[in-house]
Amino acid sequence: MGRDAFQETDIIGVTQPITKHNFLVRNIEDLADTVHEAFKLAQGGRPGPVLIDVPKDILQNKTLYRPLASVNSLEYFRATRQPELSSSAIEQAADIINKAQRPIIMSGHGVILSEAYNELRAFAEKTNIPVITTLLGISAFPVTHPLSLGMPGMHGPAHVNQAIGETDVLFAVGLRFDDRVTGKVSEFAPKARIIHIDIDASEIHKVKVATVPIIADAKAALAALTTAVKPGDHRAWISEIRSWETENAERTRRVKRDEQYPDPTSILEAIRAETGGEAIIVTDVGQHQMWTARHYTWTRPNSHITSGGLGTMGFALPAAMGVKMGMPDVPVWAVAGDGGIQMNIQELATLRQQGVSVKVAIMNNGYLGMVRQWQQFFHARNYSETPITGPDYVKLADAYGLTGMRITRREDVPAAIHKAMITEGTVIIDFVIESESNVYPMVAPGSGITSMIEESVEEDSNHD
Amino acid sequence: MTKHVAPPKRAGQENAPQDGGHTHILVLFVDDSHGALDRIIGLLRRRRSNMQTFAIGRSEMPNVVRITVVVNDSEVGVEQLVEQLRKIVDVRHIVNLSFEQAVARELALIKVNSTAAHQNEIIELGHLFGAHAADVDHETVTLEVTGSADKIDKLVTLLQAHGIREVARTGCVAMTRGTANT
Repeated sequence: MGRDAFQETDIIGVTQPITKHNFLVRNIEDLADTVHEAFKLAQGGRPGPVLIDVPKDILQNKTLYRPLASVNSLEYFRATRQPELSSSAIEQAADIINKAQRPIIMSGHGVILSEAYNELRAFAEKTNIPVITTLLGISAFPVTHPLSLGMPGMHGPAHVNQAIGETDVLFAVGLRFDDRVTGKVSEFAPKARIIHIDIDASEIHKVKVATVPIIADAKAALAALTTAVKPGDHRAWISEIRSWETENAERTRRVKRDEQYPDPTSILEAIRAETGGEAIIVTDVGQHQMWTARHYTWTRPNSHITSGGLGTMGFALPAAMGVKMGMPDVPVWAVAGDGGIQMNIQELATLRQQGVSVKVAIMNNGYLGMVRQWQQFFHARNYSETPITGPDYVKLADAYGLTGMRITRREDVPAAIHKAMITEGTVIIDFVIESESNVYPMVAPGSGITSMIEESVEEDSNHD
Repeated sequence: MTKHVAPPKRAGQENAPQDGGHTHILVLFVDDSHGALDRIIGLLRRRRSNMQTFAIGRSEMPNVVRITVVVNDSEVGVEQLVEQLRKIVDVRHIVNLSFEQAVARELALIKVNSTAAHQNEIIELGHLFGAHAADVDHETVTLEVTGSADKIDKLVTLLQAHGIREVARTGCVAMTRGTANT
């Protein structure tokens, strides 16, 4: 290595900024320990990808397998140790929560990663504090629960962002205040004292300075806090938020809509009805992702898989395949746009070859829809490179030896979903949706999250 | 290496105490493993650290290297950087030292033009700074000086009158004052 041999790439160098850690195996004796260590590292603390570069001469070599018990290196202990919960921080946080007038819980991916669903629920119910879930926190808390408010940020419903604007105590657990959540940071939760729980100390004070930082696993911290706090009653505050919600719903109801095409709500409702809410939904990146996050009725814990802050288009299809292989008895739906689905379309061959059954719903509007929406709002409808010509997905599915359908009318949606569920193997449904529908509401980049672009009654006249 | 400039403003830290930036000495104890140095340098670059010097060398422990990084940033910025560095698997231990707590030194070699007439003058100037002549030739004197960055800056400024050919500086190395270990 290091001599520019055929297909030689500095994989360690290339992957360094995008992995939690990486290893180059230079000695066959180190291989077993390295693999064990890599798994421990990937799963410990704040999880993340770990890459092992195994050169060809090592792969062609032989060695005796060494079991996990023999791994005793320092790395192993440093990276997987649990932070100790500070009891003074818990007391301080409990005191602030007990005195809060308009508190909000904001729950992120950390709650799912530590499987703290019951702890979150117990805490929210004891304190009677409404719960917001970030994009990656969706499905940690059932949306049917009376304390559930929805998703915050750029495409969150207005009442959630209004609540953040008014809250006096923001209890943030397992999240990192992504810019898509905060919008303009100085206008995010401007009246709030912040309690921030995260297992990763480098997330504390990174974006918002926390009044009480708690470096801990979400599960441990939530359990300790549930014991420490007094039962709360915030019915007045909750009903205030609900009144905003009703107001906003009234306003959007007045908007005239085309009812001919399948729309995200009809597709998602049909999937939910057909799977009894047991499906795991894997989304790609774009408009369909926001519609799914917003409009699906999330009740099963950890049933929402998406790429989050990196926004990697092409994620849905291979990720859904992985989910299905990990949980073969659970129905898995990949929901994608017609842009993202083509970015890893070759995985259809893998699905066929491995006999993995993923149901694919394409929300096809003939555009890179989210980019088109930005062009409509902020670039005077200059639709540069966003209209896209996709393949005929029915023929494409057929070419891979899979089943394909094309649905152009809303009334045909439930039957198509049903047919997909009873058909063996991977099924692709191409839902032709309205070509220029938008994700509402929207916070313009750089604005505070309480100033939102709402859908207007005259859809055509907006913002250009 | 970046010049002494105001610390970069990070998105979203408007509400963090902006103390205008201080110089901090970060001492890292790092496993002498494959790619460790890359990871540290890469992180300092990615996180836009305002790095002034970076010095690396062996420590008292086998297979552990000691890296001293001098950065200029706000308290919040440095805390962030320390926590990020702490996450690198190869980093065993990291200490954020203030200059008051630390013995901090840098070594410099300074090659100055000199004629026979000026040779003694240059060497004597060096003596005022505790420097000694590491090399003397017909046309040049090379001074070796150890001290704080400010002291070296001062000597360099004074020597400019003679014409400086080359300056080589090691960057700061530091340890805690008193009996306590860093």
